[in-house]
Amino acid sequence: MILEVQNLTVPTMDQKCVILNNISFMVKEGTIHAVIGPNGSGKSTLAYTIMGLANYKPSHGKIVFDGNDITDMSITERAKLGITLAWQEPARIDGLSILKYLSLGIKGKTKTKEKVIESLKIVNLEPEKYMERKIDESLSGGERKRVELAATIAMRPRLIMLDEPDSGLDFIVIEDFLNIFEKIKELDMTILLITHREDIGMIADYGTLIWRGDSLLTDEFPKVMLKYCAKAGLKEFCKRKLFNGEGACFDEDYIDRIFREEQGL
Amino acid sequence: MSGVEYPKEILESLEDYNIDIRDFIPGHGKGAKLLLDFNKISGVEQVDGVILKGREIENGIVADIVIKEGTKIEEPVHLCFGVNKETGVQEIFPRIIAEDNTEVIIQAHCSFPKANGLIHKMFGHFYIGKNCNFTYRETHYHGENSGALVAPVAYMYVGENSIFENNFNLTRGTPGKVKIMIDIYAMKNSVIKSNIRAFGKCKKDSVRIRDSVFLEGENARSVIKMKAAARDGGEVLMYGITEGNAPNCNGHVECNEIVLGKGSICRARPFIRAIDPTSSVSHEASLGRFPQKWLDELKAKGLTEEEATQVLIEAMLQEE
Repeated sequence: MILEVQNLTVPTMDQKCVILNNISFMVKEGTIHAVIGPNGSGKSTLAYTIMGLANYKPSHGKIVFDGNDITDMSITERAKLGITLAWQEPARIDGLSILKYLSLGIKGKTKTKEKVIESLKIVNLEPEKYMERKIDESLSGGERKRVELAATIAMRPRLIMLDEPDSGLDFIVIEDFLNIFEKIKELDMTILLITHREDIGMIADYGTLIWRGDSLLTDEFPKVMLKYCAKAGLKEFCKRKLFNGEGACFDEDYIDRIFREEQGL
Repeated sequence: MSGVEYPKEILESLEDYNIDIRDFIPGHGKGAKLLLDFNKISGVEQVDGVILKGREIENGIVADIVIKEGTKIEEPVHLCFGVNKETGVQEIFPRIIAEDNTEVIIQAHCSFPKANGLIHKMFGHFYIGKNCNFTYRETHYHGENSGALVAPVAYMYVGENSIFENNFNLTRGTPGKVKIMIDIYAMKNSVIKSNIRAFGKCKKDSVRIRDSVFLEGENARSVIKMKAAARDGGEVLMYGITEGNAPNCNGHVECNEIVLGKGSICRARPFIRAIDPTSSVSHEASLGRFPQKWLDELKAKGLTEEEATQVLIEAMLQEE
């Protein structure tokens, strides 16, 4: 396992409430692992806590990355071990070129430009058109997200956390993003995919359902998605949109049984 | 002008600004140029449509630069005001006229690599005619001893339908004592963009910049962007002034300043005034540190807090 989250509890900054409550799950190396759950369930908090952001300190539990307890490590130390995060709304910084931005995370001083070009190509941005542009307001939301993905790819980390990579994107580019995630996986990087969308999550091998701060299930992604639908009482949606027709994962009887169990029947 | 010698220390001091020094080595590079070595004119090179004349006076020069009507030149006109001495007084009186329908970039370099008690003053007058596209870039390097006293004053008139871009950059080396005053008068339908960047790096550095735009003509527009950082006791004060004095004019002032280390001071004083009910003038200012999220995003790429801050400072002070 590349990542183990063990009994993690994360309070609010004022310590009065708990955002994540005794969360545990493991992520297998080389997989796409989705963390799903409704808005406000604590998914982004989980990503920030794994990355080590100052305002997201666990009050209890451990985070283990590749056998090392990283719970008390700084963001920089975690990044150097091979963890990184692509933010939901990445910053726009006047004056910082895409070439420079992507170069920042590249280890070693040789062939930096080549590595930047390669990373931009993976996210389907033309290097000659983009390298000298700045990561400022002149980039569209989709372009900025692609640049962020390229910046994380350029680092060649072992674990990339993608926080709602689909937010603000129109549906015609979603497919392209899913292809990019597959390319990242082929580069032997593990992806922890934070999302609340079933169509994005379906690319994942495994998943963890976070529900009101609790981790309810970690399993193969379709099973996690089914549990999510059952918790939300979305039976028809589940049958119609997720597990029906060609490529269906479960038969109707199984779905009915899971929903009955969830309702305590 | 070939064969004219110019101190290589001054030319080398500008390399950090990504300026191709070959462009203004005497006898090389394209474009008009005027080079001043302390108070002696080292060389003048003119091109078609550009008149450059310099006259030496007691402590400096009077320089007349005229861009003839309709002239459009791609190569910048270089003005190099260098002093390769520790002390002395250099006074520059440039009179710059861009006649109607001209397009030009003027690149001024003020380099004082050995300054240690040196005084540089400038009293500049700019007249930009109608329908012009005029860019003025002024790049300063005052050495590493905080030993310069630099006080430029410039009055700029921008005619109807003209675009004027002013870029002032003082981000390399240690500035010393700097007092800059720029007044820009914008006529009908003109567009003004003024970008000022400065970095005070130690206790002996004190930078005060007043950049004013007076929107005097209907539909005149302006944006002043002032960016500064003060480190290790350095002090930066920026006044961004915009007056909306004509119908439908629109101006904006933006100040961003970063304070690093104890004893450093950044101050921003935007002054805005509107006397026409159809005018619109706004300002925004931020002082202190960079947003934590920006730092976190860079740290997640493996940078330390200090490295991330340095990257952000360089980006902020980058010439546009």
